[in-house]
Amino acid sequence: MNYNVKHITEVRYDALVNLARFNLRLKPAEWEGQVLTGYRLDINPMPKAIVDESGPFIVNTARLTLDKPTASLTVTSEFSVRVNRALPQPGLPAPSLADVRNQALEDRGLSTRDPASYLFASPIAGMAPEIGEWAACRFAGSDSVIAAATALMHAIRNEFTYDSKATAADTPPIEAFRSRRGVCQDFAHVMIIALRQFGIPAAYVSGYLRTNPPPGKARLVGADATHAWVNVWCGNGLGWIGFDPTNAMLAGNDHIFTAMGRDFADVSPLDGVFIGGSGQRMKVSVEVTPLNP
Amino acid sequence: MAAYAYAASDPLRGYAVPDSKADLFAGSQGDVAGSWHRMAAGLAALCDGRLGDIHDRLLHEISDLGMTFRLSGDTDERPWPVSPMPLLIGTEEWAGLTKGLVQRASLLERVIADIYGAQSLVAGGHLPAAVVAGSPNYARKMQGIVPPRGRYLQIYAVDLARGPGGKWRVLADRVRLASGIGYALENRLAISRTTGTLLSDINTRRLAGFFAELRRGIASSCTRTAPRIALLTPGQFNQSYTEQAHLARYLGFPLVEGRDLAVSQERLYVRTIAGLKRIDAVWRWIGTEMLDPLAFNAHSQIGVPDMFDAWSSGELAVANWPGAGVVQARAFSAFMPRLAKVLLGESLILPNMATWWCGQANERKYVRERLDDLVVSPAFGTVVAGLKDGRTRAGASMSVSERAELFAAMELRPADYVGQEIVHLSTTPALIGDTFEPRPFTLRAFLARGADGEWVVMPGGFARLSAQGDLRTSLIGKGDFSADVCVVDDVAVEQLSLLGPDTAPPVRRSGGILSSQAADNLYWLSRYTERAEITVRIIRNLLGSSIEVDGGSRRGATSRQRLVGLLVSWGTIPTDAAGLPLPQLCARAFREQELPGGIAALVGSIRKIGRSLRDRMSADFWRVANQPIPHQDDNWAQSVLSASNVMIDRFSVLSGLAAENMARGPSWRFNDLGRRIERSLTICRIARQLMGEDCGQDEFGLLLDLFDSQITYRSRYLVGPMRAPVTDLVLLDPGNPRGLLYQVERIAEHLASLPQQTEDGIPEAPYRQFSAMLASLRGMECASIDDHQLQDIETRLLALSDAISQRYFLQYERSDPPVRDNLLA
Repeated sequence: MNYNVKHITEVRYDALVNLARFNLRLKPAEWEGQVLTGYRLDINPMPKAIVDESGPFIVNTARLTLDKPTASLTVTSEFSVRVNRALPQPGLPAPSLADVRNQALEDRGLSTRDPASYLFASPIAGMAPEIGEWAACRFAGSDSVIAAATALMHAIRNEFTYDSKATAADTPPIEAFRSRRGVCQDFAHVMIIALRQFGIPAAYVSGYLRTNPPPGKARLVGADATHAWVNVWCGNGLGWIGFDPTNAMLAGNDHIFTAMGRDFADVSPLDGVFIGGSGQRMKVSVEVTPLNP
Repeated sequence: MAAYAYAASDPLRGYAVPDSKADLFAGSQGDVAGSWHRMAAGLAALCDGRLGDIHDRLLHEISDLGMTFRLSGDTDERPWPVSPMPLLIGTEEWAGLTKGLVQRASLLERVIADIYGAQSLVAGGHLPAAVVAGSPNYARKMQGIVPPRGRYLQIYAVDLARGPGGKWRVLADRVRLASGIGYALENRLAISRTTGTLLSDINTRRLAGFFAELRRGIASSCTRTAPRIALLTPGQFNQSYTEQAHLARYLGFPLVEGRDLAVSQERLYVRTIAGLKRIDAVWRWIGTEMLDPLAFNAHSQIGVPDMFDAWSSGELAVANWPGAGVVQARAFSAFMPRLAKVLLGESLILPNMATWWCGQANERKYVRERLDDLVVSPAFGTVVAGLKDGRTRAGASMSVSERAELFAAMELRPADYVGQEIVHLSTTPALIGDTFEPRPFTLRAFLARGADGEWVVMPGGFARLSAQGDLRTSLIGKGDFSADVCVVDDVAVEQLSLLGPDTAPPVRRSGGILSSQAADNLYWLSRYTERAEITVRIIRNLLGSSIEVDGGSRRGATSRQRLVGLLVSWGTIPTDAAGLPLPQLCARAFREQELPGGIAALVGSIRKIGRSLRDRMSADFWRVANQPIPHQDDNWAQSVLSASNVMIDRFSVLSGLAAENMARGPSWRFNDLGRRIERSLTICRIARQLMGEDCGQDEFGLLLDLFDSQITYRSRYLVGPMRAPVTDLVLLDPGNPRGLLYQVERIAEHLASLPQQTEDGIPEAPYRQFSAMLASLRGMECASIDDHQLQDIETRLLALSDAISQRYFLQYERSDPPVRDNLLA
């Protein structure tokens, strides 16, 4: 499947800001099952400098410095991508939770793909025994890591209500968990914490999702948004598999991968510092357009 | 063991422990034992045999030194608890420790370098990847970034326990922050000030040489030959801020906060009143995660944006290198013996607590089976299931259900747990009241790299003594106390001071740099002090302390009302207190904490600002500023009056310290500028109240009183206070140091001497208007001054104060933390 993705971020400040510096994490990093075929980043006003970096997780960062006072910032990230991702076959033999746990501890690597870094509490996704206890009942009887993660994903889909007003970007996942409300970011964090409580490495993935219009209706322009889901490390043989708890589906050809880290903080699309200014408002629009092959 | 002949008066005579090997003193022999006795006898001799009195003397020194600390949750600082009796360690025992400590520091350096470099230890199976990744201080972003001269570690602290058999072992490595190093220095200062020559009498090794080496060590990692090294503090609300301020002052490093610093072109600068000045190295007291909001935690408000660029370009040395703290996680202890073999080909000279990391199947099994003989702790210092609040638990103390809960949790997340051997502690004589009693202790030792990069061990350290409980928390807990650690030689030691003659620095006249923030604080410190002083003067006046024999009583009700009105308008007392009887009204003004102009509130502000200038303030400042406001009896005017007199004396001391002790550089200028501006504003405000059309002798006399000009007036005029001569003396006489024109002329001098920061060299409008005001004030006649002119002067002074802050003080950098995009169902 080929896509064109256009992601426009507009930030307006209540007063002029000086010497602003930002991290943009918008350019898709390399990940299996997809190939980036074109990328363009437009920034208005023109920054003094843009430095491209990658890491320390699976993420591309563009660091920009604005040296002229400005009251607004517009970032347009546009790319085309070919997605061809193989989903695990139903009934595929998968290791047990205990096997995955042991393999993760025995792994001898610290690279961004190795499981060790995704096994522990991270800045946003801290440990929460409460979430572990909740998850334990959902796992019951699951004999493999895939079955357990699937059960968990369905439990979130069934028991949580999507509510974009219930949480904000800095709402701790435990609050979203207690209210059983939130958005994809919250659901991904809850699932990550639940898996890590069982010693299963889990990572936060930011990206985009193709939305399919209801049958007979045309695709709505501007109805798209950024998305987040969970990569679960399923042992040495299977590696990372994407689970989308918001939609109770595996991350397949509708999912476009941008970045992977321990939680949202590692892959946040935009953060930075500035001098001056006070309040700010942000407007984001995303368009995911499927292209003919 | 050599028998020691106790003198009848020997305070250690009655000291008894069950096992002499398990006590530092009782197990000592020969010269070292002799030193213990001389020390104890010396302490007793200092207070004529009443040993218990030494506590008060020590407490006095501690408060003079401004040594305080906070427990987490404290809003106020507590006096630092120190035992008068140091721990004495003989040369031989110390030499053994030194060897082990240097080996450990070298080993840790190699481990850190491998983790952030080749990662061969992980790849080779010598160190599990999960032990590295699980450590909260592992900074992935530091991968591949090599420090100047390859030194990841520059300063290293380590907690040691002495077992009952006299064998030492490592309890914990403190690589992230060497907290306690400043307290070790302060303990030594307090003890040596209290005990005179006692420490040198017993041949105590000095600490100065160590700190000199530490400074040279950091300097030698810098690219410039005369580097500027700053101590980076999280700020005055940090638990160990006083320690950091003390170290900065002792070492001569500017004490800076993140907001004082800026990065430009991959170099780090401090914002000073004269613009940006380059920093070559920082000794950081901020965790890696908070150092740079753009590289690490985006929410950090205490870091410096883009500092990462400065150190990764090689232009900035950082002690310790960001991420170095990775090795201090408990789980590492389990691997240290093996890592020593692999990296050094040696065994550990100084063993650490035997540790079993439960992330490995065999070790986990061992911990389960031997739980009764072990303590269980979180492997990475985080809160984990089965160990309440992340505390260490002795296995033997756990109930059946607690064990079941722990084992179940350990099955799911085995990597989070370690089992460790139980360490028993030796005791040392602690002076409790007036007798010596054995107390278990731990010792924090400190190492630093010297100029040649080799490790130097501080000959001494910081001991923690406790009657009970866990001594392994970060610094000091409630009920614990600290003690100095003295390494005693058999023969007299060579004297060495930090500013020793062997390394005479180039002669300088300016005292380093003045950061914008420090300038801001100095300015406001004197403004608050001045405001507090004039407020107390008004109170004293209300209570009738005039040099007129019958002062207060003769003074009319109208002029009294005017003064009370001033107090209300300054926020010294609430409006409804204006009708109180005078003694009560004045006592209320002293106690007022909520309103900004209350004496208690002003004194609070002075102390708070003083704390953030701790590295610049002398011990005398603290001695005066920390004294409580004297008690007053509300119903007795005389008692409130004497409190006023005491406070006026103190403010005079504070101004005197600034006037007489501060070098005539920018620090003094900002401090004096604050005083002059505040005083001129006060003169204008008071004069507007007391020189109106309807004012008479009473009011003019008051003016002279408040501005301490009675005596001058009497020496010039034989008549009582009259409008024209009083106006001249208080407002226009350039020779009256309490008068308006004098203040304004001093302000003009300061402004002319401060560095210019505007590029075009043209002064801003408030500066120009101020100059115009000065010129017209000089030309005025006393008959022509009216309320309107005074108000105009006041307005121009306020505008000038704003212009000074704009030009010289800090503009804050805000962080723009992650904001959520709109997300999808």
